[in-house]
Amino acid sequence: MAEGARPALFVALERLGRVSVELVEEFGYYLALCVECVYWLAMGTLRRQPVRVSATVQQMVEVGLAGLPIIFMLSFAIGVMLAIQGIHTLKQFGAQTQVVLGIALSVTREFGPLMTGIVVAGRSGSSLAARIGTMSINQEIDALRVMGINPVRYLVAPVMVAMLIMMPLMALFADFAALFGGALFCKLELGLSYRAFWDQTVNFLAVDDIMQGLAKSVVFALVVALVGVSNGFSVTGGADGLGRATTRAVVLSISYIVLTDMFFTYFLNRG
Amino acid sequence: MTAAIEVRDLVTHYGSRLILDHVALEVGSGEIMVIMGGSGSGKSTLLRHLLGLNRPTSGSIKLLGQDITTASAAEMHALRRNMGVSFQGGALFGSMSVLENVMLPLREHTELDEQTMAIMARMKLEVVSLGGLGHLLPSQLSGGMIKRAALARAIVMDPKLLFFDEPSAGLDPVVSAELDELILKLRDSMRMSIVVVTHELDSAFKIADRITVLDHGRILLTGTVAEVRNSSNQRVQDLLNRRPRQEEIDADAYLRRLTGG
Amino acid sequence: MSYQVQQESGYAIVCLSGDVDLSCSPEARKTILASLSRGQHTLVDLSAVSYIDSSGVASLVEGFQTARRKSLRFGLIGVSAAALGVLELARLDKVFPIHATLAARLEADG
Repeated sequence: MAEGARPALFVALERLGRVSVELVEEFGYYLALCVECVYWLAMGTLRRQPVRVSATVQQMVEVGLAGLPIIFMLSFAIGVMLAIQGIHTLKQFGAQTQVVLGIALSVTREFGPLMTGIVVAGRSGSSLAARIGTMSINQEIDALRVMGINPVRYLVAPVMVAMLIMMPLMALFADFAALFGGALFCKLELGLSYRAFWDQTVNFLAVDDIMQGLAKSVVFALVVALVGVSNGFSVTGGADGLGRATTRAVVLSISYIVLTDMFFTYFLNRG
Repeated sequence: MTAAIEVRDLVTHYGSRLILDHVALEVGSGEIMVIMGGSGSGKSTLLRHLLGLNRPTSGSIKLLGQDITTASAAEMHALRRNMGVSFQGGALFGSMSVLENVMLPLREHTELDEQTMAIMARMKLEVVSLGGLGHLLPSQLSGGMIKRAALARAIVMDPKLLFFDEPSAGLDPVVSAELDELILKLRDSMRMSIVVVTHELDSAFKIADRITVLDHGRILLTGTVAEVRNSSNQRVQDLLNRRPRQEEIDADAYLRRLTGG
Repeated sequence: MSYQVQQESGYAIVCLSGDVDLSCSPEARKTILASLSRGQHTLVDLSAVSYIDSSGVASLVEGFQTARRKSLRFGLIGVSAAALGVLELARLDKVFPIHATLAARLEADG
């Protein structure tokens, strides 16, 4: 057979090509979803098919409020760990009192938004994919379409708006939780008062640092929403496919979050 | 008077596989047309195209005089107000009560008073004998009740066209007979044109004005109940008598398939 | 759709004509409810109605319910075969007081 005779290089190249095409297709789909969401948000009311505020609020509660306890816990722990590592490292130079700077910067620029992104991807990304996937299997998406209700307007746009609003707010919340964790440890280890920790933090931090973190979280919000939704829509083949799609949604969105974070950090900190 | 549905030369593919091969179909106003065929005959695909859920390779599909293969989004949206669909599994939204489900098309398409919409929805629940059960969630309903609730949602806008996918699948004979009665009643009192996709013979013969038999993506026969019963076509008779299909075997092609040559 | 209201034998008679569908049933509803809120016994004359859909029937139902709450008399007259079919589907023909004409209604009132 021809298959066996083909050089391994060709096979590898073909596979690379196929994967690239799929990747481009997937990103094209994300882009199209984005554009359609924006269209309905802008034009929906005009065409008497508005994006419902109630659905958006409901999504905001689901994405945001329910996730706060876990975000607090994880961010708090990150804050404590940053303090431990920072004090340990700076002790070698006898500069342990400088630890506040390290904690404040890494929390607001990096860990607050990142932890939030990962938690939301795990919680909401998977439930989003599962919800839309289940609807897809049960023909509920078809039912929406034959009723003349655009699924993107009805299901996706509220999620998108909810994510874009809640993610930065939650990242801000995570910032505070992590700073609190750091402050608590510094108080116990260095006898640094909360007041002093807070004053130093406010002194060091520029608005830019916080904005950088929040800008990242907006991108993470897009990533989680788009990956979750598109995996939900692409579910085929019953419960099996549903499980695969939710797993894929979580893994992909966490990967994309970490990768975009890296690029973001690199480009924002050049020069 | 124009036909309610007019399909011409419909050709569709799934990937590169031919699913529907030059299908033509006409459903008159106020007529009940039953589309029959075994699994894999293409009847579900035909329904999806009639509903405008898939794009055909070629051909035209006119619903109420409007060609949906060329209709604009706005035209399609207007047409959808006149179409009701009851899906096989009901496709009720699990997060909403039955009443909310039935009211959804009204909420999205009309600006009626809340009270009027609720009365309309409850009236349709009465029609399908689910009166007073609107507060239940779809997960609390039995299979037959889900189908009836889905039907109530399909007819809440008083559509001119009603599509019903497998009304009797998975139901016991009594419940499915009740659904058949309901379909006839709807046509008579609301003058709807109705398309029913089914593989249940008894149900088909009971409700159909005309039957279209689909096999391997082609229309074998379209005719009245009597014409279908008396058809001399071998495949039609196989279907009627529930005989396994007996295809002639092409030895060459068969061997090629087995050896992969 | 068009409508007119006339007073006769102690009733306000709301005559609907044409198609009573989604686009105009809110107007019919308002007219019926307005008549009832003035405390008038009300009859709805459907003899000139060519088509009535569920939203129209729902308006009649709401009118009837309002009339009962206020202990006012309410009913339908001149129900055409087509309209009767729609009412029968939801078994509402058993609920509404339906008479052929005003005279028949007055006779029934005694």
